[in-house]
Amino acid sequence: MTKLLITEITRMGPAFCVIGLQREGEKIQSLRPVPPSAHSWLHFPHQRGDILECALAPFPATKPHIEDRTATRGFQKSSSVAENETVSYLRKAETANSLPDLFGCAIQENKKGAGLHAMPNQAKRSICGCVTQNLRLELYANELRATLALPSGEVLRDLPVVDRDWRDFIDAALAPARGANRAARLERFLKSQFHRKIMSCPHHFIRLGLTRPYHDYCWLMLDTLFPLPRLEWLEEF
Amino acid sequence: MATASSSPFEKNRRLLGDCFRREAGAAAAIPADDLDLIESGVMDSMGWVSFLRGVETASGAVDLGAYMNGRTASFAVLLSALSNSSSASGSRKRLETPRDAVVIGTPAIIAASSSTVGSRVVLSEEVDRAFGMPVGKLRGRAGIASLAYAAEGENELALGAKAAEEALRAASCAAHQLDWIIATSETHHDYPPLSAQLHSRLLARENCGALDVGGACLGLLNALAVAQSLIGSGQAQTILVSTADVHSRTLTPGRVAGEFGGLFGDGASAFLLCGARSTNVSGGYVLGEFIFGCAGQYAAAIQVSDTKDGSLNVRFDGEALSRAAITRMEKVITAVELRSGIPRSSVGGFATHQPNPRLVALLAKQCGVSRSTFPPVARVSGNLGSSTCGAALHESLRNASKQPPEERRPIFLASLGPGLLFGGGWLTPHENGQ
Repeated sequence: MTKLLITEITRMGPAFCVIGLQREGEKIQSLRPVPPSAHSWLHFPHQRGDILECALAPFPATKPHIEDRTATRGFQKSSSVAENETVSYLRKAETANSLPDLFGCAIQENKKGAGLHAMPNQAKRSICGCVTQNLRLELYANELRATLALPSGEVLRDLPVVDRDWRDFIDAALAPARGANRAARLERFLKSQFHRKIMSCPHHFIRLGLTRPYHDYCWLMLDTLFPLPRLEWLEEF
Repeated sequence: MATASSSPFEKNRRLLGDCFRREAGAAAAIPADDLDLIESGVMDSMGWVSFLRGVETASGAVDLGAYMNGRTASFAVLLSALSNSSSASGSRKRLETPRDAVVIGTPAIIAASSSTVGSRVVLSEEVDRAFGMPVGKLRGRAGIASLAYAAEGENELALGAKAAEEALRAASCAAHQLDWIIATSETHHDYPPLSAQLHSRLLARENCGALDVGGACLGLLNALAVAQSLIGSGQAQTILVSTADVHSRTLTPGRVAGEFGGLFGDGASAFLLCGARSTNVSGGYVLGEFIFGCAGQYAAAIQVSDTKDGSLNVRFDGEALSRAAITRMEKVITAVELRSGIPRSSVGGFATHQPNPRLVALLAKQCGVSRSTFPPVARVSGNLGSSTCGAALHESLRNASKQPPEERRPIFLASLGPGLLFGGGWLTPHENGQ
């Protein structure tokens, strides 16, 4: 049995992609449990910070998704840890301070428009954490996008935000029951209070991921943003 | 490709079509105006955002994404957004003024130009030896045949003043007619600043302004944009824009690696800008719009800073920078093409930054244009910093002046600076006040 601290739950279309941390001696590494016949879970009832017991079997994953493991039976929750403790473990897992170190390869910009990508055969992994110098979220044409500055000073723009909790928060903010001008109110929140709440949080941390090869490239995305959103923030705008 | 005679609506529609095909593929059919591009599966969300960013760059409209929130992902809504962006009655304030569009009262014309390089010409093999590199490396790897170095007695001021005097002479303009001197240099860090030194050397009027503009290799475009604004707003009629860079005394063997320092030469350029409506200028080239930005993902590819012991701390990832330079300049040229409505195939000269000749050849290939439209500045003189683009622009203007007026073609500008700063623009022939 493997004990996995769940750190990532991301939305991939109608399904969820999950990553957890496994400790092996002093080493903490990311593993991505996948169902036997798919890359993602249609139903995943657990939360980040949950420690799940599961049976994982390695299989010859396609680069750069070397963290993939087949889950051969269901998850059993054994305990959970607080958000700040989850981040303390993430800081001991895969981290980088500069763009080329994120996935061990050159990151290239989309020659046609927005976004950044890696070549599937060059990237050494598909998930990496880092502390950001600055971070901005925006609702851009109904899509949640992030712009962030790495400690190296490199700026990453137009990253799709796939973090389940943040996407749920945005959906809740835009729910019709919340009245008029929802998008404008959300925009104002993201441009003002959000920044203060995120950057002043002592356990602020992000994880960036690579999509599976799509049109020959693996695209960068913001998998996880700590702190996670709080429902009471909805009362502020 | 849009033309100047199109109605704004038609121009916007063509611009959307160009950007759409750039994202979806050259053979993609233009969708119906009211089709939801995401719902219908024509684009996914990443492609949609990428497409919108392309439209923003090409149109100069700001915050298209905010406008599109809660709206359908269709051409019809986008056309409405673009219409609002160019209309004072637009309901969203941020969409009222295009980000990069210059409010042009009086068009600015480059009436005369000049460039010069350091008078000591050194074969690249000699530079290889000086930096302790294998002989032939600069020629073989970068395509540099020789470098122009400042001789004893030459510095930024001497080279800048020489270029400025030639430009003034070419335009039959006296220094006392200048309203502003705008200087840029990536190597001159002394005081008085270069613009003040040029002001004194040229004996400009005391109430002629002097301004130094930064941006390193992008400095010329920054300076031209400032000059255009001063002329356009009516605050100036005649402006001298000057670049001058002497790398050979800063990027020396022992101080920096040859793979970096060996690329650079010394030179200067000067441009005399006049307001089209207030002078008797005929000929010359009219400055079009500029686009600028900063691609921060490349910020770590080149960094130069002083250290306490007086040496230079240089971080230079040549491979990453080369890749960034080509990708970004191709994007700038595409944006200029879309914004101006001038197809790159009809451009007479590309006055771009030239990090090294190999990259110029690669850029020409990527852009699908003839290499001969890029004046060979870096091959014979090296990378001249802010003066590279200046020397290339002067050469393009000189080539154009040899053509009959009716055969002169537009010129595209594109340059980069550490950061990664980028900028582009275009010039069109000006004939008899047209």
